[in-house]
Amino acid sequence: MEELRLGKYVVGDTSKCTGCKACEVACFAEHNKKTNGVGKTVGTVTIPVTPKLYVTKGDGFCVPIQCKHCEDAPCLNACQKDAICRIDHKVIVDVEKCIGCKDCMMACPFGAISLLPLCKNGKVVAQVGCTDTQLSASKCDLCQGIDGGPACVRVCPNEALRLVEPEKERKEKNIKSAYSLSLTKSFGKEELK
Amino acid sequence: MSMTYVTIDKNICTGCQECTKVCPVDAIEGNPREAQEINTDKCVMCGQCVQKCKSYVSIVSHGNDAYEKVRKERNLPETVKEPLFAAYNVTHINEVIEALEDKSKFTMVQSAPAVRMAIAEEFGFPLGSLADKKMAAALRKVGFDKVYDTDFSADLTIMEEGTELITRVTKGGVLPMFTSCCPAWVRFMELNYPEMTDHLSSCKSPQQMLGPIFKTYGAQESKIKPENVFSVSVMPCTCKEYECNREEMKSSGFKDVDVVLTTRELAYLIKYKGIDFANLKDEEYDSPLGDYTGAGVIFGVGGGVMEAALRTGYELITKKAIPDVNILSVRNYSGIKTSLIQVGDLTLKVGVVTGLKNVKEVMEDLKAGKLNDYHFIEVMTCPSGCVSGGGQPKLLEDTDTFEAIDHRRNSTYKHDENLPLRKSHDNPSIKKIYKDYFGEPNGEKSHHLLHTTYYNGKTKKK
Amino acid sequence: MNHFVKGNPDLCMGCRTCMIACVVSHEGSHIFEIDPDSYSFNPRLHMVKTATISVPVQCKHCEDPACKAVCPNDCISIIDNVVTINTTNCIGCKNCMNACPFGAIDMTEVKCEYQAKGEKKIVANKCDLCRENPDGPACVAVCPTEALKVVSEEDLINNVEKNRQNTAKELNEASLKAEKVCK
Repeated sequence: MEELRLGKYVVGDTSKCTGCKACEVACFAEHNKKTNGVGKTVGTVTIPVTPKLYVTKGDGFCVPIQCKHCEDAPCLNACQKDAICRIDHKVIVDVEKCIGCKDCMMACPFGAISLLPLCKNGKVVAQVGCTDTQLSASKCDLCQGIDGGPACVRVCPNEALRLVEPEKERKEKNIKSAYSLSLTKSFGKEELK
Repeated sequence: MSMTYVTIDKNICTGCQECTKVCPVDAIEGNPREAQEINTDKCVMCGQCVQKCKSYVSIVSHGNDAYEKVRKERNLPETVKEPLFAAYNVTHINEVIEALEDKSKFTMVQSAPAVRMAIAEEFGFPLGSLADKKMAAALRKVGFDKVYDTDFSADLTIMEEGTELITRVTKGGVLPMFTSCCPAWVRFMELNYPEMTDHLSSCKSPQQMLGPIFKTYGAQESKIKPENVFSVSVMPCTCKEYECNREEMKSSGFKDVDVVLTTRELAYLIKYKGIDFANLKDEEYDSPLGDYTGAGVIFGVGGGVMEAALRTGYELITKKAIPDVNILSVRNYSGIKTSLIQVGDLTLKVGVVTGLKNVKEVMEDLKAGKLNDYHFIEVMTCPSGCVSGGGQPKLLEDTDTFEAIDHRRNSTYKHDENLPLRKSHDNPSIKKIYKDYFGEPNGEKSHHLLHTTYYNGKTKKK
Repeated sequence: MNHFVKGNPDLCMGCRTCMIACVVSHEGSHIFEIDPDSYSFNPRLHMVKTATISVPVQCKHCEDPACKAVCPNDCISIIDNVVTINTTNCIGCKNCMNACPFGAIDMTEVKCEYQAKGEKKIVANKCDLCRENPDGPACVAVCPTEALKVVSEEDLINNVEKNRQNTAKELNEASLKAEKVCK
């Protein structure tokens, strides 16, 4: 039987999230240590904060929204510059190819993508031929290439974020379900005592 | 209190209430998911909320123009590019910039021990990197006329406070005596236990001892008119600006400390002046008010004031040097620690309270008369002493907190170990200032410039 | 109420014939003759085998399905009392897979169909009660020990009522006995 490998993704728990944005700050920090000189402290930051997940407020709750690394990712399929591809089951944006057309942002049914300033070497990058900032698609890449796994999960003060491993969790749920079936096995027996 | 020191920007605050979890006095009020407000009748300006707050001015939440608008509102220099958060301390950096450019002003600066353990972090150095000599070079390059040091007046504080303690112990003064160098702790006492403030040492904090010395002894040394001296201090603390604005802090005849910068604001100033901090060559602090011993250095950590005081107190009482300069039993990462220290025939019972959340039970015990056998208790508001102060470099990820504090503490003790002199009373510049100016610790001149009084429930509220 | 198939762990011997029957029922019996790589072997029920239990687990066709609630493209609906996934618009986001508390939904590759960029098409897959099959659920028919059976609304109502009757009878007998003793 074919063993499918499905993409993992991070999901938030609305019963625990307080909306503090520690996840957004950590996401930005971890993604900009090598390319933009961000260190451990706020004072080392010289560029706008560009997270890849977005804390969203609802009626009486809040939760970060981020990419689910869909198997049939609409963003990947929409991108005409082939700037979005799948690497190791993660859907990743290559900002070098991104022209900021916004198709992926519109295609995503979850609102997991925002267009945010592109920054290099501690500075905001300008568009070609003018002073306007270059914007590129910003979405969760499951901390691809960064040590320690998803930073957002690690720093949340309320443990509101978790990394979902779809196949592992499905199998665990199957086992629990099997045990509950053993409790309903006498359902439907004919005799009236 | 009319001035604002630590505040929450209600346009940016997300109402996550993470700050309420670190506030030691429950001064932050509001409903979940709505903007919070600081109750200034309870707030002690420790700035732990400032350190904790992660709700930043966001392009997605607040729009493209919000950052510039907020930066201007907060009077931050245009060279500031770092994220701005809902909870922040009000800056007076522009007053310093103006004074530095004013040729008629003679600027003197002092920096707290904890600042040099963390300032380099703002320039990408590893957490807790010691940068004492680079900091001296930076302060000089920024344009201060005299680069003095709070560590010097920390040594001075030990002389004054040690003598005061011995007097209380031998002549029956109010015991236990509490340290008074932490202004947030003093404010806490005045707000909640004003009838107990006679337990506080009458000594001013090292910052407020050095301030008036700048404008008297210091002015004399530099042959400058006191009114032309502009006195600045760099602190790891968001409460020190409040302290320097207290009505009584004018014993020099002028405002003793004109402006306080936090560690972070010093970094803003260095960047504003376009100084390449990482490549600065080491420089020394100016003499005599920048000469310090290891005892002055350890003020920045929980248990440090206690250890420094004991190193000197031991010798003042027994007339012999303390067998081991390292008094490990009073070093305190956080929480409450008690210890018995044998000083000749006297057994000193001391306590160290690090983190203001821990002080309530101590105060209740004090009121109930359960602490009458204690002699000296150190209290620091911030979780691990000044190295974890509200004005210190702010971490992007709180999971780095332990490492940051641990490294800053280790740097402190290492710096102390590597200094040639480790006891306040061995400091030649301290001996000199007594010989030339103060005469004796707790003498008349000391009392005028170096000691203070507190609100005790009956006098006018500060 | 929706129908569903239920397994009995006491009767199930873990042979997995039900899983093969499921695939044959949806793909056709030609699977035994063609190249195994040319079709997707995607049973819609999952055999659980541990040291202590063996039984297949499958969709319970819930009355308020969690999977239906979370699908961003409204691919899941209830048709003829069967919770059905229309995979045409499925983007493989795995919301339904994650939402199902029983792990009844898996993702499967649709052979001979590709995404716009040439990637394999991967969609959500779960028990559909063999709605297209006139003989009903293939797994039930093929199980050698009759461990699987369809539970209909009628079955549910009848059996709950039977349980109530038995319980009421026992209560009555107990109370009659108690009266006898007191007299």
